[in-house]
Amino acid sequence: MPEEPKNKKGCLGCSIPVLIGLIGTFLILILVSFAAGPLGTNLLGDIGLPDWLSIPQPHPELPAEVVFHIFGFPITNSIIAAWVTITFLVVFSYAVTRRMKIIPGRLQAAFEFLLDWLYNLCTSVAGEENGRKFFPIVATIFLFVGFNAWLGLLPGFGSILVHTAEGEVHLLRPANTDINMPLALALVSFVFVEFTGIRRIGIGYMKKFVNTIEFRRGLKQVFKGNIKSGLLGIFAGGINIFTGFLEFFTELIRIVSLTFRLFGNMTAGEILLLVVAFLIPWLFSIPFYGLELLIGFIQALIFAGLTLIFVTVAVIPHEEGAH
Amino acid sequence: MEGGLGSLGIEPSILLAQVINFVILFGLLYFVAYKPLMRMLDNRSKKIKESMEHTEYIKEQAELAERETAKRIQEATKEGQKIIMRAEQAGEEARQKAREEASVEAERLIGKAQIEIQRERDAAVADLQSQFANLTVLAAGKVIDQTLDKEGHKKLIEKTLEESSGIK
Repeated sequence: MPEEPKNKKGCLGCSIPVLIGLIGTFLILILVSFAAGPLGTNLLGDIGLPDWLSIPQPHPELPAEVVFHIFGFPITNSIIAAWVTITFLVVFSYAVTRRMKIIPGRLQAAFEFLLDWLYNLCTSVAGEENGRKFFPIVATIFLFVGFNAWLGLLPGFGSILVHTAEGEVHLLRPANTDINMPLALALVSFVFVEFTGIRRIGIGYMKKFVNTIEFRRGLKQVFKGNIKSGLLGIFAGGINIFTGFLEFFTELIRIVSLTFRLFGNMTAGEILLLVVAFLIPWLFSIPFYGLELLIGFIQALIFAGLTLIFVTVAVIPHEEGAH
Repeated sequence: MEGGLGSLGIEPSILLAQVINFVILFGLLYFVAYKPLMRMLDNRSKKIKESMEHTEYIKEQAELAERETAKRIQEATKEGQKIIMRAEQAGEEARQKAREEASVEAERLIGKAQIEIQRERDAAVADLQSQFANLTVLAAGKVIDQTLDKEGHKKLIEKTLEESSGIK
């Protein structure tokens, strides 16, 4: 290829002829794959392109498929993917922290940058002392969700098939797209929040949900004969009980919203990638992969951030409503 | 319930497995990531704080040393000035002394010269007197030799004086 002696006229790090060649290749690939995909065949008719260019129509399934059983315990492809993520995270962390130095190398600096950022997030939301305590769980949620999403973008996920008793199934499936994973995380988050609240505030934490003090006081007043103030007390107490019920309901709803936000986003992303790859098999899905990287990050941040906020709210001692 | 949630894929055993997965991940990461990281961060912030304090200390020391040096220089300058002043004084004194000595010497010499002159003059006067006496004697002798009249007397004196002026 003719190279410019001084590569100053180039663009994007290539000389002009190389750039033109690259763009041409890109265009040809896009055009060929467009013609081979279902969009092209509908518009142009079958123009005799070989079969292996087109991709079979995706059939997304909501439940994850069981790959094998251990002692009768079903192991789905999403569980295997979660194991992959766990292995990756643990091995990577171990490799980095095994020989930590005061003055970090590149890998350590990147690792520290991520975790330090999460740590600062925790301390800025929950305060220095609480943030330090919440950091491990919040960071684990972030890392697990984020790396489940990112590793799910690697080739091999959704493309390796294995034979089982129930037919051919995918070996790996991004763990977040199996609803059990988001639900498990949401339950962990819920238990963590409630447990921390009870441990920090004591049994008084429960008064948030069952606040009958005012009601009982009103009842007492009625028995003593102060009908008017007693009835007012009962009314106010009734409102307290009702808000307690709402509070309780809100906490339960959090599980559902956390679960389905993550599950929905991840599943939608997965289906989007499948569909894009089905419509135009080559190159066209690259921008969508970039999009999915961003979405994975955002979902991880949302899940971890919401957990952090919930737990921060839970440990704030609330004022006693009754007088 | 089974139909609706089941079609979503919720399966208690898998759910449990994922919870366990999370707990395992949490436990492992706690030991391989968070604990060493926190220790490292704490260490580092401690170290930074220490080195900041150390810097502060060194700065203080430097300032102190600088002040000390300035003081020394000032002292040395003062000392030097004193020495110069003393030297000047000494020089002045020496000059004064030399001048005094010189004037004393001069006076002495002058005095000596005057005495010499005095002596010379005395000698000259004495010489003159003795010669004058001789002349007088001579003149007297001549006068005695002749009978002296008034005219002759006068002539004689003039003659003698003439002779003495010729001597002188």
